[in-house]
Amino acid sequence: MGEIFGAPGELLASTIRFATPLVLAALGGMFSERSGVVNIGLEGLMLISAFAGVVGASLSGNAFVGLGFALAAGLGFALIHALMCVTFEADQIISGTAINLLALGGTGFLLVVIFGAGGTSPRVEGFEELPIPLLSDIPVVGPALFAQSLLVYLMYLLVPVTFFVLFRTPFGLRLRATGEVPEAVDTAGVSVTRMRYYGVALSGLLASLGGVYLSMGLLSAFTENMTNGRGFIALAALIFGRWNPIGAAGAALLFGFAQAVTIQAPQDLIPQEFLQMLPYVLTIIVLAGFGGRAIAPAAIGKPYRKE
Amino acid sequence: MAEGRTGEGTTGASCAAPVVLEMRGVTKTFGPVRANDDVSITLRRGEILGLLGENGAGKSTLMKILYGLYSPDSGSVFVDGEEAKIRDPKDAVSRGIGMVHQHFTLIPPLTVAENIVLGAEPRKGATLDLAKAVKDTEELSERYGLRVDPRARVADLSVGEQQRVEILKALFRDARIMILDEPTAVLTPQETEDLFHVLGELVADGLSIILITHKLGELIGVADRITIIRDGKVVETVDASGTNEGKLARLMVGRDVLLRVEKGASEVGEPRLSAENLVVRSGTGSKAVDGVSLEVRAGEILGVAGVDGNGQTELAEALAGVRLAEEGTVNLDGEDVTRLGADTRQERGLAYVPEDRGTKGLVQDFALYENNALKTYDGPSYSRWGWIFPGAMRRGAATALRAYDVRPPDPDARAGSLSGGNQQKAILARELTGDPGVVIAAQPTRGVDVGAIEFIHRRLLEQRAQGKAILLISLELEEVRSLSDRIIVLYAGRIVGEVGPDATDEELGLLMAGREAEQTA
Amino acid sequence: MSEDRTPQVPDEEATRGSTLRRVLVNAGGALVFPLFAILISFLIGAVIVLATGNNPLAAYAALLQGAVGSPTAIGTMLLGATPLIFTGLAVAVAFRAGLFNIGGEGQLYIGAITAAWLGVSLGFLGPFSVVLVLLACVLTGFLWGAIPGFLKARFGAHEVITTIMLNYIGIYLATYIALKPLRTEGLVPGTDTIDIAIRIPFIGLGLGRANYGFFIALLAAVVAYLLLWRTRRGFQIRAVGLSPGAANYAGMGIGVNTVLALAIGGAFAAVGGGVEVLGVYGKMTVPFVTNLGFNGIGVALLGRNHPAGVVLGALLFGGLYSGAQEMQFATDVPLQLANVLLAVILLLVTATKLVELVLGKRARALAGARLEKGLGQ
Repeated sequence: MGEIFGAPGELLASTIRFATPLVLAALGGMFSERSGVVNIGLEGLMLISAFAGVVGASLSGNAFVGLGFALAAGLGFALIHALMCVTFEADQIISGTAINLLALGGTGFLLVVIFGAGGTSPRVEGFEELPIPLLSDIPVVGPALFAQSLLVYLMYLLVPVTFFVLFRTPFGLRLRATGEVPEAVDTAGVSVTRMRYYGVALSGLLASLGGVYLSMGLLSAFTENMTNGRGFIALAALIFGRWNPIGAAGAALLFGFAQAVTIQAPQDLIPQEFLQMLPYVLTIIVLAGFGGRAIAPAAIGKPYRKE
Repeated sequence: MAEGRTGEGTTGASCAAPVVLEMRGVTKTFGPVRANDDVSITLRRGEILGLLGENGAGKSTLMKILYGLYSPDSGSVFVDGEEAKIRDPKDAVSRGIGMVHQHFTLIPPLTVAENIVLGAEPRKGATLDLAKAVKDTEELSERYGLRVDPRARVADLSVGEQQRVEILKALFRDARIMILDEPTAVLTPQETEDLFHVLGELVADGLSIILITHKLGELIGVADRITIIRDGKVVETVDASGTNEGKLARLMVGRDVLLRVEKGASEVGEPRLSAENLVVRSGTGSKAVDGVSLEVRAGEILGVAGVDGNGQTELAEALAGVRLAEEGTVNLDGEDVTRLGADTRQERGLAYVPEDRGTKGLVQDFALYENNALKTYDGPSYSRWGWIFPGAMRRGAATALRAYDVRPPDPDARAGSLSGGNQQKAILARELTGDPGVVIAAQPTRGVDVGAIEFIHRRLLEQRAQGKAILLISLELEEVRSLSDRIIVLYAGRIVGEVGPDATDEELGLLMAGREAEQTA
Repeated sequence: MSEDRTPQVPDEEATRGSTLRRVLVNAGGALVFPLFAILISFLIGAVIVLATGNNPLAAYAALLQGAVGSPTAIGTMLLGATPLIFTGLAVAVAFRAGLFNIGGEGQLYIGAITAAWLGVSLGFLGPFSVVLVLLACVLTGFLWGAIPGFLKARFGAHEVITTIMLNYIGIYLATYIALKPLRTEGLVPGTDTIDIAIRIPFIGLGLGRANYGFFIALLAAVVAYLLLWRTRRGFQIRAVGLSPGAANYAGMGIGVNTVLALAIGGAFAAVGGGVEVLGVYGKMTVPFVTNLGFNGIGVALLGRNHPAGVVLGALLFGGLYSGAQEMQFATDVPLQLANVLLAVILLLVTATKLVELVLGKRARALAGARLEKGLGQ
């Protein structure tokens, strides 16, 4: 078995690395969708942040400045989505699609304009692996879990934090209510518009963390279209995890594992493409109702209009 | 029906009690309709004021104005003697006004406590103090006898329990004036009793309550005073102790005789449409139609009267084939059509004018010619081998539209661009052109202008004269009276009585309120 | 009769008169808003170009030149537009039933692999096999599109998510088949090249590599039109999409039409994949095309979900992409500007409330507030 998959520690480390952007983006998507706004633009949000991070890091020589740029870009694009969907009552699917297209075109465009050539950006200072003393010495799992990038540790923290925020704070209660019965929230005197903007803004911030990890954690440069569908896998993880932070993180981990295995497993055992299909097939099965129906927040997808 | 208080009122409801709420000269119009016409009501501390009226009389509108959901065209509101500008529910709540709507605004996946504290959550630092929320809920719950488990998910509660949560929501925000909109519409008799008991507790604590309803019997048992509203105006305000159901019925229902179209005699023949022991479930699973048997004969109009929500919609749909009956049979000209769909019944000569022309009768974004062919598009005149012929459809529609005075009689006009009356005429054109033997018409003149009403009435009488069997379901008593040969009254899914068109307002009102025919003196 | 007594009720949008006039008025009304969005988008694009230190006029001139400035340019535009007509129709037809088909990409790949496989194995039949292969694409695309339709009709699984998922499943499935069972020898990963005899021929006429696939696409648009407006099934699909309540009242089956609408959409996209393989590439390479499915959404939206509009929208997209290449060559403005312009157009076209805020409620109705759809349905 060890020959097939390599050292289990290696596999675990790989899983964590692949899963991190998925977890972050899925958590982001969760805040948006829980407030009632569909966000299929996670792909674009990750991409633009991945790029912005590299731009910031390359301009300043500092990875944290890059992180700041990334967060700003993710937030900015997310606010466009919020403006379109909440204020202008645009179709949320189309807005998400347009965000993806805008990010794709924008990053390709700016790649040439800022760095002079398309394809790949120059290398930048990233968030390299930062082993935690003591913890990373634990046999097998130590290096895999605790010798990762700072952003991975951030991801570890964010999972329980988002759970806490969503289920144990007044904000979280109101957010969840907004996605289910906005009328109730409105009559309770809370602004549906504001809650939805917050939800979408959070999705931008979290997705941008996922994006910046791609270009400055996993790798150290930006490549055109480097997200390559990860935003949609994150969406699938969100749905598979039933719009719940623990569930979404778990699903993202599973999907990350599937991705890790495709690299490490020999081709003849299971064709790589079938492993890559796995997240999507699982999500469809869940949507069809096996293992309990995955029910989206009730008010999702529709603009809220007062009578 | 309701037991309990004899109508004498508790300590707070005597004439000496201060006025906590006054609405003066409130007027509100929606387009051509005057929903509230110079309405004034007063509410005293510790009393239960009943607001009685038929559907569309204006009671809900008035209360929505009070709660800040609508703004009045004119008039003012005084709370505890001070003028109050209520622009939205937040203002109303800050004035101590709470409202329990007919359709609950609860969040099913959340718990009772979470629903109650939403928007005014108790906090412990940055976190939501759920423990305190639960404790507060329990306290309120016990104080007023509103038994409900604070930790239960709202989705798991019965309707009666959900209503208690709605009441608790208002109490949590320190409501001193509570408005309940048709609260007993969704309750069982036992739950209704419990509710009235709770209301008694609330009043004993000094709250004042407005109860909106159309159920006369309950009101007499529980209210102190009753204000009757009809056609947007206040008719009278009476003491509950000094009135009876008969008087209330007459006040609620009676109106001047308006247009009565000349209805000649007609030859009544064999039954063409009949139903036996029909049981139909509503969308929520309850029995909307509970064992109805009827027959409509050739050359007669059978009117179905009743207050909205007593099963009329489901009855019409089951007879027409749009909804399947759970039990019972439907017969069309002797043939059992119970298992047949609407389009097949239509082929057999059943025409159905649905009550919801907006989302069921017409495809608003289709042209009139497409709507005209909505059921016949695959018939021999308009199609062959899978192809349809819009040209033929247009010609067919042009004739039909002109015959039924649809304006404009343009087959290409978008259905949604027509006025309500013209849309209704277009539906009639579609349904009646095929020379059906039986016509089911549900609310055929709802939201329709006077000229179109007259036209539609004339057409229905024409069909009657031609020997068709017509079932007319309507909330408009005048319409039912002027057109029908016989009238049956539907209450809680059952037929509670049959009368002739010359029945008195009192008789009809009582039947509509659920009193069985035998009890009218 | 009662005409004397009751006043005439004014109707705003009623049109009268001949068919031609009706068509022109409808088309005119439908075009105004997208044209407006295009104009605003280009203005924003000009600002972006200026900000990068380039001359917008020169950039747009090059863009135009690259799109329609020469027969070769037009040929490139047609090449770009062809698959988008197919994927645009895939979205538009489904949308008429009230469904959101995001699965164009996967459906196209299924068609592509079908064509790549059959094109090789049926080569012996000569030019006639083009028809056969494309019919096979219709079949496989139909079946693939039926999957989300069935999932929705039977389980209520929302088609937005299922079609997105099936995109990737379809792409990976087709890729797997191209790399394993059907893999060819040689450097370029993918399937065997199909014999030149059964490829879709070039048009010639100086149009570069443009092939008759464009005309097949036009034919597909005509078929889509006839299907939606001249057949019983199309009547049902449109009724269900516009008013499920009325359709149900009239006895039309919602579930059946759901499945069929998505299946038909899948068929169109799959033929698009087949045309790409038979006309352009001669095989299915790995990697194959990208973004055609998602751009199909934009095309359909711009084209107001009408086959004629889809053709125009596809030509716009194709022209922009073709022109962008020239623009990059001539002026150093990166060709990705095209994506940016298209994204802005999409955003503007779908922000109908913005129109209402600026121009009032009637303008918004004209702009097609009907575009609003939600997941909750």
